[in-house]
Amino acid sequence: MADTETIPHQDEDDSELKRSITGRLLFFYTLGDVLGSGIYVLIGLVAAAVGGAFWIAFALGVTVAAITGAAYAELVTKYPQAAGASLYVNKAFGNRPLTFLVTVSFLAASMAASGSLAVGFASYFAEVWSAPPALLVSLVFVALLVVVNFIGITESVWMNMLMTFVEVAGLLIVLVIGIVHVAQGNADFGVLTHIDTSGDYGSPALAVLAGISFSFFAMTGFENTANVAEETIDPYKSFPRSLVGGMVVAGLVYVLVSMAAALTVPVETLASSDAALLEVVKQGILPFSDEFMTTLFSVIALIAITNTTLVTIVTQPRVLYGMAREDVVPGVFAKIHPVRRSPWVGLIFSGAVVGSLLVIGTLVTEAGGGIDLVGRLATVTVVLLLAIYATVIVACLRLRGRDEEHPFFRANTPLLFVGLLGNLAILYFTIYDDPYSLIWCAGLLGVGLVLFLAEYFFGSKGTGTRTPDLDSTEA
Amino acid sequence: MHVIVATDGSRQSLAAAKHFKSFADPTKVTEISVVAVIRPLASVAFADDLSEGKLDGSFRDAAQSAVDTIAAVFDGWGPKVNKRIRSGSAANEIIKAAKQYDAGLVVVAAGGRGLSDSVLVGSTAQRVQHYAPCPVLVVRPAPKPRRHRA
Repeated sequence: MADTETIPHQDEDDSELKRSITGRLLFFYTLGDVLGSGIYVLIGLVAAAVGGAFWIAFALGVTVAAITGAAYAELVTKYPQAAGASLYVNKAFGNRPLTFLVTVSFLAASMAASGSLAVGFASYFAEVWSAPPALLVSLVFVALLVVVNFIGITESVWMNMLMTFVEVAGLLIVLVIGIVHVAQGNADFGVLTHIDTSGDYGSPALAVLAGISFSFFAMTGFENTANVAEETIDPYKSFPRSLVGGMVVAGLVYVLVSMAAALTVPVETLASSDAALLEVVKQGILPFSDEFMTTLFSVIALIAITNTTLVTIVTQPRVLYGMAREDVVPGVFAKIHPVRRSPWVGLIFSGAVVGSLLVIGTLVTEAGGGIDLVGRLATVTVVLLLAIYATVIVACLRLRGRDEEHPFFRANTPLLFVGLLGNLAILYFTIYDDPYSLIWCAGLLGVGLVLFLAEYFFGSKGTGTRTPDLDSTEA
Repeated sequence: MHVIVATDGSRQSLAAAKHFKSFADPTKVTEISVVAVIRPLASVAFADDLSEGKLDGSFRDAAQSAVDTIAAVFDGWGPKVNKRIRSGSAANEIIKAAKQYDAGLVVVAAGGRGLSDSVLVGSTAQRVQHYAPCPVLVVRPAPKPRRHRA
């Protein structure tokens, strides 16, 4: 290698091109990823559980999530690779079965999240065009996202930013409606402190905990920022700021939007609506026709949900790819399409699993299973992610004092313990409230187990890609 | 002449590098820059099919190993070889690199042939061909695999 040299990174013409994700892009990536999931879909459920004061649930939920985000920021600045939770758990415990479990849980959570979002998409879509059946809409939605991901449109950072702006704009509309309503003197602020204790949850504390549990889906998504960790410029500085900053802004938006919704729409109406934020724009507070506002807002909600779903659908084949390279799932998941350089087998597989979740969910609902599919899949996501979040915080604490030669962000230790307790409390309540969600979790984890067994019994060592022969001159 | 040899970690990009070497005159080539582009928002930010290495979460390592493999092709050939890893959209970054290094030729691989290449318009090779500031050598896969394994 005498005449070969690696250009040092401080090379003047290359320095700023070395990495491409700036702190600002990362901020919008976090914000878009967090904001899209949930608030459009779940606000009705949360309002039903807590009553008029449901903003408290959002505030507390986002606090727990932001603390978890701080743990992620610490770990990302220590280990700036794309593998996220699996990597941290592997570093902290070095236990292969545990790493596998965390990886598969993450994959399962991501798939359940896509499913929940797809159902949410269908319910907003029905406001624009109600002819096609919801199942068909959600399946076509997932299929389209798989294709879009395959082609690589999702890779545009500008597209990502644009969608985030639209997302924020949608929530701003809700805020403006709330402000106009208050300015007109029609608001009854008493509703903001009203906690409904007449429902299933007798005490105010339990009602709020239920609200946090239902709203927690809206806080998830920030863990996907680890995807771009390696390509972030100056991660030590920008990661904590952009990740935790993005979460705090998202939390603020959630609290204000919840207040605006509670002030403008009777809680019973929110609670019984499939697309609750639409009820706010339907109140006729702004001087536009109902129809116009509904269509505009539905389109914005559809874009917001699409943005978040795209990120989850990008993540799944990546996880499968990593596992295939590790020889724990069959090597086909490491197959990369020659033209698009996309992991097409993993993509189709992820799409198929999400699609079957939707079909099974719809069949169970129609058979009188009495489940709300959006809520159920959101709960499954939340259960799996809470377990992962708690594990990541423990991993963060355990990795203290190790690999600290480089500058890294240090999360506040007492806060981490608060966050750990918070995650566990919400996890406990979520399982207690909906034990059947564990069956769905088990089912999804089973998919991972099947893949593992398939590799174990039928797989061959390696990914099936042959190491090239350097001397041949085929062209 | 400064030549850019792009790699996306595919075997075809290795074939392209070798094809270029098979006919080019090393005395006319002053410098070679092997360029790999990491796509941060893609499912797999960089796939290195050129080695069997495990992926422990670092796509940068994968890109580095692909660049090393391609650079090794030109070992002892003559021109100085630079290894460069960039981040962003593949075609854009290759074109930018060509402008920045004032390249006289860009060597890229076209991944597919036939249907997949004509249906899936907008592939990296096509975009580089259209917008590069210099001549582009696009190396397509051979019509039939003529692989003789030793």
